[in-house]
Amino acid sequence: MIELENWLTQATRHLSRDSAAQVRGEIQEHFDSAREEAIVGGATSDEADRSALVALGDAKAANRLYRQVLLTSAEARMLRDGNREAHPVCSRPWLKWLIFAVFPVALVVAAGLIFSGRGSAGRDVLTGAIGICPLAAALLLPIRTPAWGRVFRIVKWVALVGALMLIYGPETFQWSWLLISCLWPLAWTEWIRARIRRKLPVASWPRHLYL
Amino acid sequence: MNFKGTLPTLILEALHHEPSHGYRIAQSIKERSQGVLDFKEGTLYPALHKLENEGMVESYDGSEKTRPRRYYRITKSGRKMLTRDRAEWRAHSQAVTAILGEA
Repeated sequence: MIELENWLTQATRHLSRDSAAQVRGEIQEHFDSAREEAIVGGATSDEADRSALVALGDAKAANRLYRQVLLTSAEARMLRDGNREAHPVCSRPWLKWLIFAVFPVALVVAAGLIFSGRGSAGRDVLTGAIGICPLAAALLLPIRTPAWGRVFRIVKWVALVGALMLIYGPETFQWSWLLISCLWPLAWTEWIRARIRRKLPVASWPRHLYL
Repeated sequence: MNFKGTLPTLILEALHHEPSHGYRIAQSIKERSQGVLDFKEGTLYPALHKLENEGMVESYDGSEKTRPRRYYRITKSGRKMLTRDRAEWRAHSQAVTAILGEA
């Protein structure tokens, strides 16, 4: 039936393939039941089709609601590819340990530089160490609950913004346009991940959704 | 009638006694309200998915008259939420009745 197909096309717009298939299945099932009941009640086939379709309501309104609770294609893509940056690191144990070693080494070097009177260089090394800290922590900390994930994300953003403020010092606000344009892809990723977290039950969260 | 925001509670109430599928849930709400709560059925499933994401209902595959169906049943958390919503609704409706007076 063309009208139902149009309704489904509108209602599944921008949804992921799996979500769209789910919507199509449940709405088709619902439509068939409504149609069957109308025919039993004495309606003709055309009347039954029409009343079942009218009962479904506005497809665009349904689409807006579906996009709030089911994964969209962009979210499904992020869920699939979101851990891509961690793969090269996790698949090479030496690289993982190297990243982990960078933070304490950088701390020692920074302390050495500061005590030897080269405060500016020491501050830069310290900033780098703080910046790399969330990367090392993400690989090694046992973050397996939503609450710990939340704590980690707050620490990550505080460390990132803090490191940038240390680098730019009093000129941070002057360079804010550059910082915002550099950080917006990260913020966007964070926003999409937050939306995915609301839509998926915790039991089916992959590791990168906690971070 | 506009009953925005109460659909999740009505769904939980419809599932309170036995598991059911989407179409039957919609009909049950309409019949029990004697047609007053006549909502668009396309909005029922997003509400069901939201409840499922929140752990208030769970779904499973079943069949009715040999036709495969997606059934939903209320969970323990769903029952708690329903009890809380009922109490809130009772307090709210008593307060409105106190202001507007009995019909």
